[in-house]
Amino acid sequence: MENNTTVLNDEFLAHRLGLIPLVSAEAVHWKRPFEWSGDADIIETSFSLDVACNQDGVMDVTSNDLIPMDPDRAVEPVNCRNTEEKPIVIVKLRRGQALKLTARARKGIGKDHAKFIPVATAVFQFKPKIVLNAAAMADMTDDEKQAFVHSDPSKTFKFNPITRMIEVDNDESYMYDDECILKARELGRPDLVTITQCQDHFIFRVEGTGVLPVESIVRQAIAYLQKKCLDLEAAAKDAVALASGQPLPGADDMGPGGQGQDMDGGMGGMGGGMGMGMGMGGPGGMDMGMGGPPMGMGGGMGMGMGGPMY
Amino acid sequence: MYGADEDHMEVAMEQEDDEIVQEDSWNVISAFFDDKGLVRQQLDSFNEFVNVTIQEIIDETPEIVIKPESQHLPGVDAAEEKEYIIKFGQVYLSRPQITEQDGESVVLFPKEARLRNLTYCAPLYVDVTKTEYTRMSDDSVEEKQEVFQHVHLGKVPIMLKSERCNLHEASTEQEATNLGECPYDQGGYFVINGSEKVLIAQERMANNHVYVFKKSQPSKYTFCAEIRSVVEGSTRSASSMSIMMLAKGKKAGAAGVIRAQIPYIRAEFPIFILFRALGFVSDRDILEHIVYDLDADPAMLEALRASVEEAQEVQTQEEALNYLGKRGTVTGASKADRIQYARNLLIKELLPHLGTEEFMETRKGYFVGYMVHRLMLVALGRRAEDDRDHYANKRLDLGGPLLAGLFRLLFRKLCKEMRMQAQKMVDAGKEINVLSAINEKVITRGLKYSLATGNWGEQGKQGIRAGVSQVLARLTYASTLSHLRRVNSPIGREGKLAKPRQLHNSLWGMFCPAETPEGQAVGLVKNMALMCYITVGTPSLPVVAHLEEFNTEALDEVTPADIAASTKVFINGVWLGIQRDPTALIKNLRAMRRQVAFSTEVSIIYDGPLKELRIFTDYGRTSRPLYIVEGNRLLVSKHHIRRLINPAPDEEEYAWPQLVADGLVEYIDAEEEETTMIAMTIADLRNAREAGAATGTTYTHCEIHPAMILGVCASIIPFPDHNQSPRNTYQSAMGKQAMGMYCTNYQTRMDTQGFVLYYPQKPLVCTRAMDYLKFRELPAGINAIVAIMCYTGYNQEDSLMLNGSSIDRGFHRSIFYRAYKEEVKKSGVMAREEIEAPDPSITAKMKHGTYDKLDADGLVPPGTRVSGEDIICGKTVQLPDDPTGAVQRHTKKDASLALRGHEAGVIDQVMLTTNDEGQKFVKIRVRTICIPQVGDKFASRHGQKGTCGITYTMEDMPFTAEGIVPDIIVNPHAIPSRMTIGHLVEALMSKVASLMGSEGDATPFTKVTVDNVSQMLHDLGYQRRGWEVMYSGHTGRQVKAQIFLNPTYYQRLKHMVDFKIHSRGRGPVQVLTRQPAEGRARDGGLRFGEMERDCIISHGSAAFLKERLFDQSDAYRIHVCERSGLIAVANLKKQQFTSTIYKDGSNIYQVFIPYACKLLFQELMAMCIAPRMQFEK
Repeated sequence: MENNTTVLNDEFLAHRLGLIPLVSAEAVHWKRPFEWSGDADIIETSFSLDVACNQDGVMDVTSNDLIPMDPDRAVEPVNCRNTEEKPIVIVKLRRGQALKLTARARKGIGKDHAKFIPVATAVFQFKPKIVLNAAAMADMTDDEKQAFVHSDPSKTFKFNPITRMIEVDNDESYMYDDECILKARELGRPDLVTITQCQDHFIFRVEGTGVLPVESIVRQAIAYLQKKCLDLEAAAKDAVALASGQPLPGADDMGPGGQGQDMDGGMGGMGGGMGMGMGMGGPGGMDMGMGGPPMGMGGGMGMGMGGPMY
Repeated sequence: MYGADEDHMEVAMEQEDDEIVQEDSWNVISAFFDDKGLVRQQLDSFNEFVNVTIQEIIDETPEIVIKPESQHLPGVDAAEEKEYIIKFGQVYLSRPQITEQDGESVVLFPKEARLRNLTYCAPLYVDVTKTEYTRMSDDSVEEKQEVFQHVHLGKVPIMLKSERCNLHEASTEQEATNLGECPYDQGGYFVINGSEKVLIAQERMANNHVYVFKKSQPSKYTFCAEIRSVVEGSTRSASSMSIMMLAKGKKAGAAGVIRAQIPYIRAEFPIFILFRALGFVSDRDILEHIVYDLDADPAMLEALRASVEEAQEVQTQEEALNYLGKRGTVTGASKADRIQYARNLLIKELLPHLGTEEFMETRKGYFVGYMVHRLMLVALGRRAEDDRDHYANKRLDLGGPLLAGLFRLLFRKLCKEMRMQAQKMVDAGKEINVLSAINEKVITRGLKYSLATGNWGEQGKQGIRAGVSQVLARLTYASTLSHLRRVNSPIGREGKLAKPRQLHNSLWGMFCPAETPEGQAVGLVKNMALMCYITVGTPSLPVVAHLEEFNTEALDEVTPADIAASTKVFINGVWLGIQRDPTALIKNLRAMRRQVAFSTEVSIIYDGPLKELRIFTDYGRTSRPLYIVEGNRLLVSKHHIRRLINPAPDEEEYAWPQLVADGLVEYIDAEEEETTMIAMTIADLRNAREAGAATGTTYTHCEIHPAMILGVCASIIPFPDHNQSPRNTYQSAMGKQAMGMYCTNYQTRMDTQGFVLYYPQKPLVCTRAMDYLKFRELPAGINAIVAIMCYTGYNQEDSLMLNGSSIDRGFHRSIFYRAYKEEVKKSGVMAREEIEAPDPSITAKMKHGTYDKLDADGLVPPGTRVSGEDIICGKTVQLPDDPTGAVQRHTKKDASLALRGHEAGVIDQVMLTTNDEGQKFVKIRVRTICIPQVGDKFASRHGQKGTCGITYTMEDMPFTAEGIVPDIIVNPHAIPSRMTIGHLVEALMSKVASLMGSEGDATPFTKVTVDNVSQMLHDLGYQRRGWEVMYSGHTGRQVKAQIFLNPTYYQRLKHMVDFKIHSRGRGPVQVLTRQPAEGRARDGGLRFGEMERDCIISHGSAAFLKERLFDQSDAYRIHVCERSGLIAVANLKKQQFTSTIYKDGSNIYQVFIPYACKLLFQELMAMCIAPRMQFEK
């Protein structure tokens, strides 16, 4: 921090700069600061920012004002100089205010700080299996059918005016909120609909922040998960060997076979994947294995403040 | 007037005459706040003081007459007799300014006063006339007059944003900003020595009111009628008078006798004697003044029989006056003197509000009779006793009257001193120098002292009230506003009497039902409701003149029998006369008030049962505006509202004053409210109209909006009408501790403490009143996603789980500012102070913190990271030279300023200036970033507070299928027993608001229902009750129960662990007792008290207790002389032990006692008590 006459103090700006997502496709090959072992390892890159406001009114300092000091590192703020997307505002200036600083970007993981997390949302859900009972439907009035359809807030069902039947419109939108089941019960037809979760088929949704391609996030996550599983398996075997004979019951359930099967299920769902270990524990024995830190990849880049600030 | 208007409009815009709906009321309310703001009472009362009262006080002061006490000189003829008269004339109050040490006077703005610790005050000037009368030897009088114009009388602190304030003209936002002020700051406080002071309104009983109370057993009276009589606008203290009915006297037949008690008469005496002393001699005459119509009320006559009989021995006025004179304070005077004394007493001291001139006996006689009448009504069970807690009987002393009282006191003191000075000058044979006789420091210092300390009254005098002036709370904008609208009842905080603390019916609309502190001051400290208006006081003269015009008959012109048949007219407690046609008069008076023919704050009360018309024009009454209703129809109609919102180009501006002047709304005070019929809503009026005249109610007024009964802090609560009432009280207290943005100019202020939230948000769910409180502009909280669930158990017992990733992203992060002050004090010639980096080689007593962070000028530069006890401002004091002339190593002593022990941060700003003495003055502001952590305190807006129990990163938090992760998880157990339904409704509405991208309306007493909100949520594709299916963050499994997951506005409270964390092993002890110091700031110990001691004893480890508390902490070795039992002198080095008593020798024992015990012994010895220790053989 060389000069800061803005309304925000140094710490505030540092925090805001840190939260700017940086494109970090290259960062896979970087080392985190504590992993640094020699000059060949890249651990950081720098940006400079030097803005002064000489105009009336309010001027925005944005992520576009961050200028990489090593352009060949290919690390820049997400949507940098993308005319279609608005840049990220760092601070607003009035006449006479100025900001000059140097920022250093290092690699980190989401466990250290939320700014390193490369995904915005990463979520999964079981695919529902919805079975409507035509027999029960037969003696329902149209009004009752309509009422049933409208009882589900996420519009899973629709009423077909031609066949005068209830149909499943979009089963993936079903939220498991049981509203329609309650309604069916209220209408005196508890057998109208049965909904079960497909335990081997689940839907992953991952939304990136632009730091890494989503596909790459998912691949890295799976790779990391597999590595962990292998580590666990090896550790379990060691433990069994140590325990002289009697295999531990828990360790046995978590064979690699089971793991693989879960993963397939996951991929089948959406071709998507998962991010950041959220909801990473699949069904079955997985959850025990994943009890530890399920953190994924060294994906995101955050910024630390550098320069003569301290 | 309105009728004509209506006719005119009818043709053109018929639909515009439609009745308004509740929603339109908000335009009226906005008009009220646009006109008045939120601190009107403070500004009004101060303006009144400055513009009117100061001059009044000076005018009423008697002129100062000085006669030379000439020494008798033998031989010299006292030919000339001189007399000087000094009179004060016109006063002039200037604008706030400061005279710098170099003599230059500059205009002072509040910003500078705050930063440089100056007082924001303006000089007061007065014209003084000195007249010199010289009586020549030929008895002619020579007059010589001299006028001194603009004599400096003193400096008066000026209330910010009042008419005399330099900010008064800076009305636009831009102007305020340019002067370094927050555009949202509303003034209403003073700046004294750099700190902002508020004058808290003080509640008291109203003067000139007759109160009748029932007395219970231990008292010797059964009933008592009291009055505290004060002349309108006078300096004199109240003269109270009471009339009581005896329970049983010394004689058997004395029960029911009525006695009177008046000032300067030692004992109570029969009431008839008072009448006779006033000149009403015959029993019949007296009875007629009490009962009015003797034939109509035999019961009351019968009840008065005992009183008639009691006064039989005194039958003439002379005798009665003599009777009183004997019981006066003067003893041993002649009979004529006694009678004269009694006569004067009755003129001057009895009921002075009726007049202190002669020939007021008729008035006073009637008034005493009225008091007895009122007493009899209660005694005969025809009326209930008066309600002490009814707000009609209360008055509020605001800044203006408080300052006026103080100014009066000080001005009198100034005059006294001036007279003494002048007398001295005259006696010395010199001319009177008026300028030097006036000591302007009396007023300057006196006002400043009271405002700075809160001790109201002269310094060092008895009977001063403490806590009248307080430091303005600047934690949150709401806390500031609420502080400026606070009211205090000074009566007995310790008193267990519950009644004055209770919420009285008459407080409706005047004071907030929720906002009051808990504990000792509950109900005694109140906060004004939003639309409460406190009267400033207007002269009663115009009303009196009008009454006389309207055939009000004065009391001297009527017979008692007339009174019984007509209505008594009182104005400000003075019985003016009677009126035979009250209905017409009242109608006329009301119309006059509605046309603003006289002040709108005049209240007109027609008391049917008592046949009284009471009119009040005094200051300090609480009142509030209401819609006027005629024929169950509001007088306001749609076109008024339209004109408020957007007036047509040809129309004049329409605002609140026009609404009042057009007679659409009027102010109703607590007493007049009792005579009105107020509809709660406009719908009630419609219902009444539909019900028809036969069955429906006839309303006279209508509430503008019931939500206006709340005060500042309670208006921030969404859906307070859905909460259990104490929860609203808790939130009202907590809202004042929430962090947010306390003003927009916090960066240019140097507050001793300041909390600012990183990303304050306006709430998703707002109340309408927030518009006026600027809560959206200066918010104090964040809309958090809150799940109400049990997750891992780290949110039990009112703790919360926070999302660590959210915290990383800036959730509830805050800045803490602390400013330190250092100045060079000039004291004496030798002890010179200097701000510099101390040189360790010549400076004594250097502190142990580091001095390395100081620059050459002795100050830390901004941006420096400081911690612990680092020195942030170096200062040295010159040591006096050694008297022996020896060369000293140290020539200076360190007096540097160190950072507080437990705090760390970055130097934010350093300000170097001069104070009012022209000395160097430094303020240093340190900034600390406070990131939420385990132990920090958070609260919703419903009295639901909790501390952080754990922080989980987002992958460990439960999530929904949409990927929503909560920021906060609260325990469901926080809800059922507390019944804060408003919390849940707020959450539900927040969800709808966030999905629709709009703002929810949570104003109380509106038509919003949970079902409405639920239906909207359902239509938006969510579960109608705000539930979500969630998945465990640890296992990924679906959580069995559906979770109530919604956005809720959460506040971060100022209590943070880092400011509280404290532990100590060994550490500083007090010098005197050698006990550990107290408190975290001094690194003090944690008290191991009696109860803790009891625990150890009952545990059976007394030896451990002794070892810890005595051997290891407090043991002290002394040597005791066996023969005397007193402490002996011991020289351990030489192993010499001598008793101080028995010099010839005694056994000396070495004993160990607690140091505290040794101290006790020594203190006893200092009091000449010899504690002797005896030794068992």
